Amino acid sequence: MLKITNLHASVEQKNILTGLNLDIKPGEVHAIMGPNGAGKSTLGFILSGREGYEVSEGQVEFHGEDLLDMAIEERARKGLFLAFQYPVEIPGVSNMAFMKESVNAIREQRGETPLTATEFLKKAKEACKQVQLSLDFLKRGVNEGFSGGEKKRNEIMQMILLEPSLCILDESDSGLDIDALQVVAEGVNSQRDGKRSFIIITHYQRLLDYIKPDYVHILANGKVVKSGDASLATDVEKEGYAFLGQDNAEETNA
Amino acid sequence: MSQWLQQVIDRGQATDDWLSPLRAHALEALGNAKWPNRRVESWKYTSLAPLEQLELSPGTTAGEAIIEDIEGLNSLDLVFLNGKLQSDISLLPLPQGLHISSLLDASVKEQNTAKALFAKIKPRRHLFGLVNDALAQDGLIIDIDAGSKIEQPIRIVNISTEGQESHHRVLVRLGSHASATVIEHGQGKQASFSTGFAEYDIGEQAYLEHYRMAMHTHQAIHIGGCHFSLQQKAQLNSTLIAYGSELSRMDVDIIHNGEHAKAKFNAVYLLGESEHFDLHSTIEHVVPNGTTKENARGIVGDKAKAVFNGRIHIHRDAQKTLAELHNRNLLLSRRGQINTKPELEIYADDVLCAHGATVAETEEETLYYLLSRGISRSQALVMLNFGFIQELVDQMPNQHLAQWLKPQLQSRFVEMEVK
Amino acid sequence: MSEQLDQALSRKYDAGFVSDIESETFPAGLDEDVIRRISAMKEEPEWMLEWRLRAYNNWLDMEEPDWAHVHYPKIDFKAISYYSAPKSMADKPQSLDEVDPELLRTYEKLGIPLYEQEMLAGVAVDAVFDSVSVVTTYRAKLEEAGVIFCPISEAVHKYPELVKKYLGSVVPRSDNYFAALNSAVFTDGSFVYIPKGVRCPMELSTYFRINEENTGQFERTLIIAEEGSHVSYLEGCTAPQRDENQLHAAVVELVVMDDAQIKYSTVQNWYPGDENGKGGIYNFVTKRAICHTNAKVSWTQVETGSAITWKYPSCILKGDNSVGEFYSVALTRGRQQADTGTKMIHLGKNTKSTIISKGISAGNSNNTYRGLVSMGSKAEGARNFTQCDSLLIGDRCGAHTFPYIESRNPSAIVEHEATTSKVSDDQMFLCQQRGLDPEKAVSMIVNGFCKEVFKELPMEFAVEAGKLLEISLEGSIG
Repeated sequence: MLKITNLHASVEQKNILTGLNLDIKPGEVHAIMGPNGAGKSTLGFILSGREGYEVSEGQVEFHGEDLLDMAIEERARKGLFLAFQYPVEIPGVSNMAFMKESVNAIREQRGETPLTATEFLKKAKEACKQVQLSLDFLKRGVNEGFSGGEKKRNEIMQMILLEPSLCILDESDSGLDIDALQVVAEGVNSQRDGKRSFIIITHYQRLLDYIKPDYVHILANGKVVKSGDASLATDVEKEGYAFLGQDNAEETNA
Repeated sequence: MSQWLQQVIDRGQATDDWLSPLRAHALEALGNAKWPNRRVESWKYTSLAPLEQLELSPGTTAGEAIIEDIEGLNSLDLVFLNGKLQSDISLLPLPQGLHISSLLDASVKEQNTAKALFAKIKPRRHLFGLVNDALAQDGLIIDIDAGSKIEQPIRIVNISTEGQESHHRVLVRLGSHASATVIEHGQGKQASFSTGFAEYDIGEQAYLEHYRMAMHTHQAIHIGGCHFSLQQKAQLNSTLIAYGSELSRMDVDIIHNGEHAKAKFNAVYLLGESEHFDLHSTIEHVVPNGTTKENARGIVGDKAKAVFNGRIHIHRDAQKTLAELHNRNLLLSRRGQINTKPELEIYADDVLCAHGATVAETEEETLYYLLSRGISRSQALVMLNFGFIQELVDQMPNQHLAQWLKPQLQSRFVEMEVK
Repeated sequence: MSEQLDQALSRKYDAGFVSDIESETFPAGLDEDVIRRISAMKEEPEWMLEWRLRAYNNWLDMEEPDWAHVHYPKIDFKAISYYSAPKSMADKPQSLDEVDPELLRTYEKLGIPLYEQEMLAGVAVDAVFDSVSVVTTYRAKLEEAGVIFCPISEAVHKYPELVKKYLGSVVPRSDNYFAALNSAVFTDGSFVYIPKGVRCPMELSTYFRINEENTGQFERTLIIAEEGSHVSYLEGCTAPQRDENQLHAAVVELVVMDDAQIKYSTVQNWYPGDENGKGGIYNFVTKRAICHTNAKVSWTQVETGSAITWKYPSCILKGDNSVGEFYSVALTRGRQQADTGTKMIHLGKNTKSTIISKGISAGNSNNTYRGLVSMGSKAEGARNFTQCDSLLIGDRCGAHTFPYIESRNPSAIVEHEATTSKVSDDQMFLCQQRGLDPEKAVSMIVNGFCKEVFKELPMEFAVEAGKLLEISLEGSIG
């Protein structure tokens, strides 16, 4: 469903991606690991269409269409979801109102009837339960005053409600304690239905203990340098990124 | 045409020295100027009546100025008495890279430095800045070479005595990567009228630590200004300590002309009796990426009146500016007055800008607590007042100066105490 | 992104249409004769004419203020006509059947249901069309409660004592240039009187409409709330598209007696001018309330229109414990200019004021908040809290704040805070990644920004306000 070919991209005139290739089929879970500065978050931003990134070469196909040609909201409506590493606050806009708008915008694109307030509330309540957020959160402003863990769980809840076909999780485990981590993992696993695909961007192997990937890719210096199955992650855990060689393992200041 | 201004123009035209061509613009502007009244925004709360009633007469210097030594400060002192320089610059041991000359005795090279700075940084809208342009005959030109770090603070003391009128000017230029500390210390008690304006050009990556003590009280009338132009990555740390007097007015301008400059400006004003103090500060962000933090605290007792106008002006292209302005005031008596107006004029959108202003009184609870521990009421008020401004005094980088200042402030509080 | 935003922001002014009704319009110009003619058309008593003439003489001696942060071409007062009324009103219809059908159709287009079955639940409407009131409905219900709600021209005849006593008592004729002009040539507006202890049974509202070219709109409203009474009043405006600027200089006076409360809400949607700043209404308004002991006034406004707005609803907190509130959302776009705010004058003890002002600037507009909080020397224990926030959309607009704070009493506390920000790229990205298009995203974020003010508006108005703010061309927020 997602095919990335020879992607070259830069931000603020710095080359970040230097020929990235990736092929994701429906139902697959791909983990992307790598040292800091390798371009992991950049990949997520570029796929979702964030401004400020220049693609100089390469193509990305999503459900057979040219992804790079679409506006941000168009990509979202076609089923692409990015769970942010640092979700931003939107004061005064309630989570409830925001998510209902979002859900209905995407439903409309799919030709489905929009949910009424009651229908939406029902789904929202269930999703809240799944990520162990109290119902109060629906009334609060988007991410307003949320702790790190609450923000990450809020992201997963949105993913559950929007039913995307491709979920990109940008370091959804960073800063979480073991309990929150399990909640996030369960949320993700509950959405694995054989058709939905996942890109799990993570620096540490820990999350992958709970979300078993089909493929693991190591991203370094802007391209995939090594691919393997879940055991690759365990190797990295043991030996770190040094096995990639001096240059590749360098941590750059982001 | 105001008579008072006409006198100024006449005197300005009568003086003939190397500054005359520089004065020309001021004389022209004064010719078109109107005497401010309440309807002129920048003089809305400050009446110039005390000045109108004063008869002008250029100062005649008599006597010696005795100034206090500040323990540990070890400053290079330049003393002015009623506008005339008393210190002999040739006798001063100037460190490498520091050049000081008086306006009267400037060499051709020094004159050129002066010409580059004179009235170029100070905005033309300051009426008394123009008066000073027209009438100031003496003053200082301080030029610091690029890369020179002048450790020794430079202290400029200005004393006004009974019945005297004086005008003096300071022009300072810091070359790129230079650093220096300049302390402007003005004082006067008796009926006198003085204007004092200082212009500072802070070069690329240069650092200026600055203090202005505007300690004019009682009958003194003082109108002055400090104007700073910051070049790229320049840094300014300026502190103003001001008392009130018959009429005291200070105009401060901080202009970001180069990107990534950082300015910090703290002001403390303390007035009692029927004193008046007016501080107008303007922060101009002309280019992007500048940072300014301004913090002003005032305590007003008895029948005194404080005016604070803090303006932040962010120009259209000044994106990514960070500007903050806070003004807190304590009003101690029913007969005192505080007028504060923090202004924001913003034309760029990618900025973070905030201001706040409060007026309150000393908390009864806190006062009661001190009294219940046996402290006398007057002592308690001094402690609380001091606590209110302490934070800003503690932020003064030069702690010798801060230590000298503390007892001064305490005796000031006693003077200001509610009767 | 900014290009898309700009397009969305230039949505067409949907109330831009003109009624082709014959109107009796005076030729342009202003002098004593014109005033006499206006007074004569309304068959006013001698004292009313005298009052107007004195105001006119005041006005001749005054100068137009120029300190506002707005720039506009000089108004030519001689080129404006000061009276325009639909002809059919001259015969004073007894029922709706007698009213010019074209006129009624105008009201329908504006969504003002005059017919009882279409009426908004329990809201009486005093529909003003070009300076003359057309019909005041539901008078019967109000009469039962003893509430008087009628056009001011009628009040001059029916309740002269009340008018004489209170007209000009809050905004004197000589208060300012535009108030003086209004006092001389005001043509109509609302008169409301709530007797002691009465809670007005429904919200009162007035719709205004300017129609003819070059006709100034000079509305005068006087609301008197006797001791212990309560009333909520809604003011909503709309105007057609025109090329010449139209002047609107209104005066609103609120007299709030001991223990009384008035809630005055405005949703203003005057034509703002085209992309080049041409056309559009000039809105110069003086609104003021005098509060006696334990009285309370709430000014709530949502302003999105006018080419120029100059407006400072104020409270004189004369009585002890009186309370003044000001909640405002002002949106400017295109080339609009707004210089608005409030004045809270604390005279009495323990008086309290709250100011929440939200300004949104977009396009090439300039949005200025100008406020005055004054604590008099006798204002023991008075309190003020002010929060002014500005939101900038795009990099060609301006947002300015000039708060004047004057304090003469040490036990009075004033707290003022202001922030400026923009719709952040991160917020936009989040909304768009969740499938919302940019217009919708901005609309949502802006709505969140204004939330504190919107919740002070009466229900119907809150909905209209949200709609007004919506920057996209279609749809409404759920």
